[in-house]
Amino acid sequence: MRLKIDKLTKSYGDLTVLDKLDLEIKDINSLVLIGPSGGGKTTLLRLLAGLEQPDSGSIIVNDHNLDCTEEELLTYRRDVGMVYQAYNLFPHLDALENIMLPLVHAQQIPKKEAREQALSLLERFNLAEHAFKKPVALSGGQQQRIAICRAVAIKPEILFFDEPTSALDPEYTSEVLDLIEELREDTMELILVTHEMGFAHNAADHVLFISDGGIIAQGPPSELFEQTKNERVKRFFDKVLKYN
Amino acid sequence: MKLNKMFSSLMIEKKGEPVSWFVRLTNILILVLLFYGLFSFGFSRLSYTFRWGSVWKYRNNLIDGFIMTILLSLASLVLSVLLGFLFAIAQKSRILLIRYFSRAYIEVIRGTPLLVQILMFFYVIANAAGLNNRYIAGVLIMSIFASAYIAEIIRAGIDGVGSTQLETARSIGLTKQQTYRHIVFPQVITGVLPPMAGQLASLIKDSSLLSIIAIKEFTMAAREVNANTFSTLESYIPLAIGYLILTLPISYVTKKLERRYFYET
Repeated sequence: MRLKIDKLTKSYGDLTVLDKLDLEIKDINSLVLIGPSGGGKTTLLRLLAGLEQPDSGSIIVNDHNLDCTEEELLTYRRDVGMVYQAYNLFPHLDALENIMLPLVHAQQIPKKEAREQALSLLERFNLAEHAFKKPVALSGGQQQRIAICRAVAIKPEILFFDEPTSALDPEYTSEVLDLIEELREDTMELILVTHEMGFAHNAADHVLFISDGGIIAQGPPSELFEQTKNERVKRFFDKVLKYN
Repeated sequence: MKLNKMFSSLMIEKKGEPVSWFVRLTNILILVLLFYGLFSFGFSRLSYTFRWGSVWKYRNNLIDGFIMTILLSLASLVLSVLLGFLFAIAQKSRILLIRYFSRAYIEVIRGTPLLVQILMFFYVIANAAGLNNRYIAGVLIMSIFASAYIAEIIRAGIDGVGSTQLETARSIGLTKQQTYRHIVFPQVITGVLPPMAGQLASLIKDSSLLSIIAIKEFTMAAREVNANTFSTLESYIPLAIGYLILTLPISYVTKKLERRYFYET
């Protein structure tokens, strides 16, 4: 993927979440955003996913210039996938229908074809037995894996994850991370916000440490995790890795 | 001690145990006897002689009124659901005039007595508009009245669909219309069915007020029978039973629906 961000600023009311953020990245497959809560990671992810419009500055993702109207952003969102912390499956639809919905109504794929695609995807990720269950009948891990299927089904150009394991019971974390890892090995382009440092270390081609509305440090995980000179990054790692 | 045990086995529900038919019937019977005692005491003080024969002659009036009440209620329900839907959506409009109008409409209708609304609508608005058919006017009034409540039911249903779902629909790339069509409305419909059924029950009872503009519905029929026979209780007791026949099944269905459409979000 290719990202080019120029003087990106975003505020909510009086709170400036991102302040003149610059970034240029090329030729990576997976990007991981880490950093303390409230530092701006999720906002940056949402801007990259076309869910928010910047107050000022520009964002270019691959060939998409996100400095555009809401209608153009809608088209962009149909080309990318998003997975949320709280799974966000639609409660009135079963697993299969949840996956079919974006295929049929956003991608304009005929119903029959969409159904086959969704079923084969569930099959592939060992979720076929849950195809006709409503979200309420599924565990958190199963829901999240189905949410990932929903995002993958549209064959997205990039797949975004916003803390995909933070709401899960620890016993379900690994099944979700395994699935994301499988997608990464399939060369799916990923951008993740996560607190799973071990996973970030393994899965990231490039890591951004975001705090106070800007990028404090960045680099390949081996560099950032093991050799960082930055005091704030070090302190952060000391805290989050204390009990690991 | 023995008496105590008998009392508890007959009167108290034990946790986790189903209540047996015998115990149920006993309790129901006791209640019936209690009420019977209460009423027969009341009537004995009144020294009222029931003359059902005189009312029986007018049974067709009551039946016609009963049917008219059902028809009025059903017609009003259909129209009020349509109106309520419009006003629920209008409250979300970005055009301020529309939003304020629907807000004011709902507050005024819910905040004033139906009796006044019927008189105002019939003698002022319908009269000015040249609407002379009092049955159509009646349906319109009841629809306007019920739609304010239904609008609030639907609005609550729409608000009940969490913002995370709207956000997710956005991220998938659904348009606003698609989001309403495929995400919001299906959940609103199942969610509002129980309160909507309750609203129908209210509508049936409230339609009795239409008798003041001389619509021959159930209550009007009972009043006429009373006026002709001077048998007040014999006219009004069938009225109460008739309304119960309509509303009890609705409250039963409502409970069923509540159970059926219960799912967590």
